Amino acid sequence: MKKVLVVDDSLSVARQLEKIINESGDLVCVGHAKNGAEAIKMNHSEDPDIICMDMNMPGMDGLTALRSLMVLDKAVKVVMVTSLGGVGDKFTEAIKLGAKNVIAKPFEPDNVLNILRTL
Amino acid sequence: MAVKFFGQFLIEQGAVTSESLLHAIELQERTNLKLGEMAVAMGYITAADIERAHGAQLSKDMKLGDLLVELGILSADQLQEVIARQKATHLYIGEALVKVGALSAEQLENHLAAFKEDQARYVADRIELPDWLANRAIWETAVDLTYKMITRVLGVQFRPGKCREVQQIAGNAMIASMDFSGDAAARYLLSVSAGMQKTVARAILREEAVDHEPIEVLEDTVMEFTNIVCGNVVAKTSQSGMVLDIHPPITLHPPQTGLAVPSGYRGLLFPIHLGDDEVMELALFIKQ
Repeated sequence: MKKVLVVDDSLSVARQLEKIINESGDLVCVGHAKNGAEAIKMNHSEDPDIICMDMNMPGMDGLTALRSLMVLDKAVKVVMVTSLGGVGDKFTEAIKLGAKNVIAKPFEPDNVLNILRTL
Repeated sequence: MAVKFFGQFLIEQGAVTSESLLHAIELQERTNLKLGEMAVAMGYITAADIERAHGAQLSKDMKLGDLLVELGILSADQLQEVIARQKATHLYIGEALVKVGALSAEQLENHLAAFKEDQARYVADRIELPDWLANRAIWETAVDLTYKMITRVLGVQFRPGKCREVQQIAGNAMIASMDFSGDAAARYLLSVSAGMQKTVARAILREEAVDHEPIEVLEDTVMEFTNIVCGNVVAKTSQSGMVLDIHPPITLHPPQTGLAVPSGYRGLLFPIHLGDDEVMELALFIKQ
């Protein structure tokens, strides 16, 4: 089973993603970090295969955390989740920094699972 | 379901990989010249002129092209020629993907047609707005996408009320607020009654029962819905070349007497008639 870490300052988004992941049958959510700094710590402690991370968070934001994660852990695959996913510049920046994809909100559970399963 | 960038749609469809998209983006960046670079390439200005204009931009909130004209470096006609050349030579992401061998021309055509169909639901309907309002397309998009997301994300049927200018908005269980800045500035406010807050929570959390949820979670779901709408407004308006930023949503608890429109702003109220005792209102405080 692939392990997924959810990173989002919004409790309701984290709840949605955890539910989608845990009900998938082949993915398991190993934790919820509330900002980029927590994501880096939990990537070390939980060793996830995939990180689903919000782009805009207070404290260390998602793109800053993504930059650090790509240096610290070459194996982890990061997907950004954001309401700004349809902004070309934001999408391009995330892909350039090493994100595997950007999920735009609002998302459909099937769409999230399709993206996570192809990683 | 959201406003998307074409490259993102292609990855989601499994049509291209993030690696081939990255190659295409790199080709685009090598090919597509910025306004200043194009003006230099056309022989109208020098690199030193761009430096000078960038220096002036520190104290003047103007686009580079307008500033080059104001400084007398570029004529208005030359600016139009540069913009026209930029448009004529622009390499789009789909074309770039064909050039790097990630897609064939025929595949591109098919995926573009599917993308247009997917995004057609976000083409803005006409919203009546007052004559004094600047940047009408942005605020029309904000109102229109709010209506569309209420139907599609919340699954709620409603009738939009006529827009009117207000000095304050009425008190309610909560108001989720987000600020837009950039090419236009305004405060977006979504006011909901307690029952409507639970409707939003049920949709966002995808749960049937939310009565046991703490108030922080219920409020968070309304803020998240606001974040979804405003993020998609930024994405939609960016397709027209407008640059907007959003700031994290906050929750307001106005007194019964209501929330006054702050000094320096004008308030527009868009009633959302729900057909029962619940209340939902959208307001835009437009910075003047």
